[in-house]
Amino acid sequence: MSTKPLQINPIKLSQPMGALLCFLGIKNTMPLMHGAQGCASFAKVFFTRHFSDPIAIQTTAVNDITAVIDGGDYSISEAIKNITAKVKPDLVGLFTTGMTETKGDDIKGATYLLRDRQKMVYVHTPDFEGGLESGYGLSIEAIIEQLVESRSEMDYKKALLIPNVNLTPIEVEKIKEQIDSFGFSSLALPDISLSLDGHLGKKQGNLSSGGISIEEIENLATSSLVITVGNSVANCGKLLQKKNPNITHFHFDTLSGLINADRFYQSLMEFKHISKPTPNIIRWRKRLQDALLDAHFILGGKRVVIAAEPDQILSLATSVTEAGAKIQAVISPTKSKALEKVVSQKIIIGDFEDVEKELTNADLLISNFHGERLSQTHKIPFITRGFPNYEQIGNNLKNDTLYEGDCYLLFEIANLLNHHQASHL
Amino acid sequence: MINKKLIRELLNESACSHNEKKKSSCDKPKPGATSGGCAFEGAQIALFPYADAVHLVHAPATCIGASWETRATPTSWEGENNVVMGYSTDITTNDVIFGGHKKLEASIEYIVAHKNPKALFIYETCVTAMIGDDMDNIASRMQEKYGIPMVVVHSPGFVGGKNLGSRLGGEAVLHQLIGTKEPQEIHPFGINLIGEYNVTGDMWQYTPILEKIGIKIVSTLAGDGRIENIQMAHSAKLNVIVCAKSLITLTRKMQEKYNIPYISVSFYGKRDTTNAIMSIVNAFGDAQLIANAQKIIQEKEAKLEERLAPYREILHGKKAILNTGGNKSWSIASALQDIGIEVVATSIRKSTLEDIEIAKEYVKILMKNPAQEQAQLIDEHQVDLLLAGGRSLYTAIKKRVAFVDVNQEKKISYGAYGGLENLAIDVVRAIENPVFKIVGTKAPWEQ
Ligand code: SF4
Repeated sequence: MSTKPLQINPIKLSQPMGALLCFLGIKNTMPLMHGAQGCASFAKVFFTRHFSDPIAIQTTAVNDITAVIDGGDYSISEAIKNITAKVKPDLVGLFTTGMTETKGDDIKGATYLLRDRQKMVYVHTPDFEGGLESGYGLSIEAIIEQLVESRSEMDYKKALLIPNVNLTPIEVEKIKEQIDSFGFSSLALPDISLSLDGHLGKKQGNLSSGGISIEEIENLATSSLVITVGNSVANCGKLLQKKNPNITHFHFDTLSGLINADRFYQSLMEFKHISKPTPNIIRWRKRLQDALLDAHFILGGKRVVIAAEPDQILSLATSVTEAGAKIQAVISPTKSKALEKVVSQKIIIGDFEDVEKELTNADLLISNFHGERLSQTHKIPFITRGFPNYEQIGNNLKNDTLYEGDCYLLFEIANLLNHHQASHL
Repeated sequence: MINKKLIRELLNESACSHNEKKKSSCDKPKPGATSGGCAFEGAQIALFPYADAVHLVHAPATCIGASWETRATPTSWEGENNVVMGYSTDITTNDVIFGGHKKLEASIEYIVAHKNPKALFIYETCVTAMIGDDMDNIASRMQEKYGIPMVVVHSPGFVGGKNLGSRLGGEAVLHQLIGTKEPQEIHPFGINLIGEYNVTGDMWQYTPILEKIGIKIVSTLAGDGRIENIQMAHSAKLNVIVCAKSLITLTRKMQEKYNIPYISVSFYGKRDTTNAIMSIVNAFGDAQLIANAQKIIQEKEAKLEERLAPYREILHGKKAILNTGGNKSWSIASALQDIGIEVVATSIRKSTLEDIEIAKEYVKILMKNPAQEQAQLIDEHQVDLLLAGGRSLYTAIKKRVAFVDVNQEKKISYGAYGGLENLAIDVVRAIENPVFKIVGTKAPWEQ
């Protein structure tokens, strides 16, 4: 734990930003941030630059006058009035900020008053608590609790994937495909593979451009299986089971690395009583075996520093340690149970100033693009992962997960380290 | 404390062209129908370019967590570059309940001990304004203790938008920095550059020219700025506002207090750059200075024309539509005309009355509702190029015309004479790029 009173170059991203990403994976949705106008604007610019895609969001634009007289319902109902005058969202995802939580606004009540006018979900996401992962997780929980209908019957073809915030659009799609190969027709909640995947289309950015539909969400309790990936969304599986106790829940802290991917496929095989997955999966496992062997020459013994959200730290650390790298330090913006599973010499809750202190003896830094400047100063190789990445394009299609993605990640790292070594001989 | 009277005054600024008729733009934002940043962001834009000061944001995660190292405002400062750093007190639940003043104080002490800045800007944001930390008190105590300026900027986002925030930043500088240091000598042709943030190095395109003419840049707010210089800003003879109406209040107050007149200029395109330089020297009225300027401008323009010649050949007769906001609706139009492009239409959807007036001088068709109008205009006028924000990309692909994203964070300067060549290169590259037509082809299953 960093003992500084302040953060210098924070890694931390706020809860409302996590909530925004979640609602962007729901079809035809307007994410509505309850706070002063600036937070929504920062969040919009942030994700627009990261995904190179228009981002839908509105704000209740609380100001110093409405703030005093209003318990939230005025600015929320005005916002709904003004939004619905222009677009017809299937859902408005209402989430708070530090300011409206300090005020203590009653968003549940405000949502209730508007229930005949607009379908809404509300969630408390003050930015003085938690971070990106918890904001995303809390929003999924709110969606399950407030929208999913209780059921007792089952659709044996239906499976639900609940990804954590760090999984990219293509990773969500790939995991769904893998689940489908076991005879399911799977859904993801939220599903950013249908909205933020960087497809050309008539995206005006007024509402989310795709994702799981409201009707699909309402009927999720007939899923026979729910798979949660990431500690930050583990609780969502349990909440769904409350809507139908017959649902089976598989939880994985990460799908990175050969051993974890094995577990994933094994669970699906057992659930479906299948003795072998598709030939494609078998082939990819062999490719990963080969990739691990090819990569181990260069990764073996290398000292790696990772700064990221906790669930992503665990994923990245798992992949590189399988090829023999040593994790010198991980720096996380927030506490999480995921960090307890990380094998690292140091586990720090901190900022980029803490990251910099770890770089003197490191061979590789993995972090969001803010790490690039540090890596240049310290002349060490650098891989960009996590939010934000303003310097590169194609963030929506970066795949590190399961056998296939793991191959790509290992190659990327090994090639970079090789290149660095060759140019510093 | 937030100063309500000051905010009212800043919002009612007579120099704000909104106030003549269109009152609404200066009014409170509409819930559910608002875009654009808050006062804190405005203050950040205005002041963060001071690289030798630490900018401490007293706030929970959102305000700076999502916004540090986002603007390309280079500096020549050789110490640690604070422009690209994010300092946050990272307010937590505990601070919301018990107050954040202790944390703020400890943070300031940490910064002074480890970073040795020339000054500290401390930004008040929504949550810290609501929990009522007495930031002024802490700052003045710390200033006394450490002997460096500690400037509190009361910029919680709920008081208003970016423009207001830039003004609040300007006010803070006026009251707490300007006039706190005396220069060794006073230059007869000293100017302050106000509202120039040196985005992508825009300012460096023209400051060497001004210096060559015999003008001294006393200080800037805040492109490549230095605290010591802005402390001596009162010794300048002229304030030059660059493309930013938001700081007009500051210059007006400096006129009242220090007798410094001000002019407002733009350095986009050849004609505007030349006009800007001439306005500055004419304001001084010195014959030698004017002669210098004329000579140097002539040289620069001739050299520019030489370099532009190959691009002009390609761009001759090309038609463009411009769909962007604010002063860009005319400043970029003017620059495009300078490289030989016919600007068929420009958007005035988010422009102030004053910007609309200026735009009229450059472009015939003013689009009030560009999203709807531009597609039709592209057909009617056989337009070759659409310059707009990312949302319009689809229109360009469908119409199979070249596209330039003018709202994207620029990586390269389009400012002044040198920047105009960059613009020409980018536009030529867009026009010659086959990508828009290739992407626009129909899939085999759509034929
Ligand atoms: S609106 Fe308030 S809380 Fe949000 S970014 Fe601006 S100052 Fe910070």
